Amino acid sequence: MQRAARDPTEEFEELRRLLLSREREQLRDLKDRLSDKERRSQDIASVLPEAVKMSRERGEQLSNALRPAVEGSIVDSIEKRPEIFVEALHPIIGPIVRKSVAESLRRLLQSFNQSLEHTFSWRGLKWRWEAVRTGRSFAEVVMLRSLVYRVEQLFLIHRETSLSLLHVTSDPTVSKDSDMVAGMLSAIQDFARDSFATGEDSALEEFRVGELQVWIVPGRHAYLAAVIRGNPPRELRPALEETIDTVHVLKGTALAAFAGDASVFESLRPELELALRAQYAETKKEGKSTRAWIVILLIAALATAWLILALRNQSRWKDFLHRLKEQPGLVVTEARKGWFGQSEVRGLRDASAPDPAGIAREAKLNPDRIDFQWNDYLALDSASVKRRFEQRFSVPDQTRVAINHGVLEITGSVPYEWLDRVRREATLIPGIKSVAETEASIVYDPELARKRFEAQFGLLDTVNAVVANGVLTLTGEASHRWLVRARAAATTLPGITSLNDRVIDLDQRAFDQSKSIIESAFVYFLTDKDDIATEGFAALSRLPDEIRRCEKSAKQIGLDVTLEIQGYADAIGTETRNADLRQRRANKVRDFLVSCGFEPAHLKPLGVEQPFTPVPGDKATPEQAQRRAAFKVVTQPATPAP
Amino acid sequence: MIQKKICMIGASGVGKTSLISKFVHSMFSDKYLTTVGVKIDKKTVAVDGAEVMLMIWDLEGDDDYQRLQTSYLRGSSGYLLVADGTRQITLDQAIEIQGRVTAAIGPVPFLLALNKADLVSQWEIDQSRVDDLTARGWKSFKTSAKEGAGVEEAFVELSRQMIQPP
Ligand SMILES: Nc1nc2c(ncn2[C@@H]2O[C@H](COP(=O)(O)OP(=O)(O)OP(=O)(O)O)[C@@H](O)[C@H]2O)c(=O)[nH]1
Ligand SMILES: [Mg+2]
Repeated sequence: MQRAARDPTEEFEELRRLLLSREREQLRDLKDRLSDKERRSQDIASVLPEAVKMSRERGEQLSNALRPAVEGSIVDSIEKRPEIFVEALHPIIGPIVRKSVAESLRRLLQSFNQSLEHTFSWRGLKWRWEAVRTGRSFAEVVMLRSLVYRVEQLFLIHRETSLSLLHVTSDPTVSKDSDMVAGMLSAIQDFARDSFATGEDSALEEFRVGELQVWIVPGRHAYLAAVIRGNPPRELRPALEETIDTVHVLKGTALAAFAGDASVFESLRPELELALRAQYAETKKEGKSTRAWIVILLIAALATAWLILALRNQSRWKDFLHRLKEQPGLVVTEARKGWFGQSEVRGLRDASAPDPAGIAREAKLNPDRIDFQWNDYLALDSASVKRRFEQRFSVPDQTRVAINHGVLEITGSVPYEWLDRVRREATLIPGIKSVAETEASIVYDPELARKRFEAQFGLLDTVNAVVANGVLTLTGEASHRWLVRARAAATTLPGITSLNDRVIDLDQRAFDQSKSIIESAFVYFLTDKDDIATEGFAALSRLPDEIRRCEKSAKQIGLDVTLEIQGYADAIGTETRNADLRQRRANKVRDFLVSCGFEPAHLKPLGVEQPFTPVPGDKATPEQAQRRAAFKVVTQPATPAP
Repeated sequence: MIQKKICMIGASGVGKTSLISKFVHSMFSDKYLTTVGVKIDKKTVAVDGAEVMLMIWDLEGDDDYQRLQTSYLRGSSGYLLVADGTRQITLDQAIEIQGRVTAAIGPVPFLLALNKADLVSQWEIDQSRVDDLTARGWKSFKTSAKEGAGVEEAFVELSRQMIQPP
């Protein structure tokens, strides 16, 4: 056979292809599925939900296996991106927190109302008495008397074992042994059930112990026992049933598997505490509320008032400190406000600075409540220096002063006397180095200028001095010496610019008088002789006194006097003889005067050639008039006395 | 802390209350006040380093075991079966009661306490009977509520059995 000639291996291959081609296809497909990651994922995705479901039905294994991974990723996620969880949980936690807070506030206000009510009422007094009588605290009496009902304790008790799972109480001081109570409560129920053979389903629902009631609220694995004071309303039971249901929802598995470890139920405490309700008697609900509100408002008003006062005080204090700091010559180094007692201010104070107590008063603070402690110091700022200056020199109205880098600048119109004092004394003030007054216009008081004149020269009774517009007018009479001094120096006095001198010089007048008397005196001689005629003696006898007077007054006005004695002769006789006669006659008078004690040096006898010019009214005859001696006073400036 | 409920079971006057009193309060009285109903006490014991809080239910002993109130037994993790060593009959009653308890709450750890061990001269119970019970897997203690011997040990041993994983 042709066929037999073929290679057996090939034939076998052929056969395989024919027989297994479908299976091979499927095999390849399966292999594809296994090696193709994407397809494998798709396959698993389609069976995963079903697989999880089945696994959970069989037992906890899957949960146990997944727990570490799930927990780990949750913890990780919370650590890294807590906001996701916050957002997710917020809708749940938010309302719970709000509810709990609102409830707490409601209770607080309620008990506050209550206390107020009882503090002020007649009933309150009665209760106080009861508290004294029974030895209970007042709060307790109030609570008991005004209580409608209060869930005081809640026991969460495991049904099967009668063990206490959780115990909460509204009064933390009451800590009865919850384990024992739980046991006994269970025993009581068992007893009741057994005694009255009511069966497993019917249970003791409530019983009364004195003022207390105990309500039993059953659940599948655990029951609640509520210890209630007073008369609870029927609605309380559904509320408690809700609580036990919640307990089972939250901890059902743990309850079913309970084997003696109650610590896992501690997390239920908030749940149970919410069920610790209470209701108080609310007669005159409005009134109580109003009273509480009034008190709250009163307190708020007082607090506000206090706050306002405190703020005002604070701002005044600040203002005061500001004023102090603004004040030159005051340096505050430390200031402390005492809210209830003395405030304190320490610092440095210049002697010129204003009184800080006054500043406190300006700031509307009571200075008696401020304890000032100042140390002296010398302020050198312009304002302080200026104040120091002003305190020492009261500055006239029209005058302006300023301190500029230690220079006292004076402007405006300035009374001379004030300026004079300032010039002398200003630099004695610390902080003033010099005085600048070039811009000042000095004003002189005429009367003061006159006084100055008087003080300078000594006022004579005989002289009258008047100053007007800077002109000193002098009238009357005065000695030459005084006049000379006054004339020379009057205009050097401040306030006197010129002198109007109408004073009579007494010494000059005396000299002039003496001079004219002497020069009008004649001594007559006998004819052709140098003997003095009888009529001549009368004149001659008066002459020495007059000459002395003349010399004296001349001396006063600063002159030395020489007396010229002029000898005359008449035209009769020879000229030679007459010349001799004239000389002799002059000498004769000189000798007489010398004999009277006059210095010969001051006497100058001369013969005068030309005929004597008679003086009008002279009674002597012309002839006789020629035989005479006359006088002439000659002056020259006095040589200063050695 | 782990809590466990246990019961004291046995005929009347065997010393159940006295054992609890000795164990919990370290007190003993010769006066006999029979228990009515149930009384509960608690005591924490240390077992192998762990603490267990025992809620000890003291049941009224009744010689007529037909009337055993099983409802009090519910939830017990174990019980102390008490017999009076000076009265042979109380052991028989204890054995009878044990069967009823097992029927009511299933097999839970228990110990047999042969009480009043101090009254040696009046002792009635044969050691052979006790050995029989031991052979059946019962564990028994001689206790004296008066002198304290074996009391603590009995409770601790029961606790140990209760917290042992099954
Ligand atoms: N000498 C002695 N007397 C004991 C001992 N235990 C109990 N008793 C006495 O036995 C009497 C009965 O004791 P209980 O503890 O009340 O007995 P019970 O088992 O609680 O009795 P019921 O409550 O009636 O069931 C009391 O008078 C006790 O003093 C003991 O170990 N030694
Ligand atoms: Mg007893």
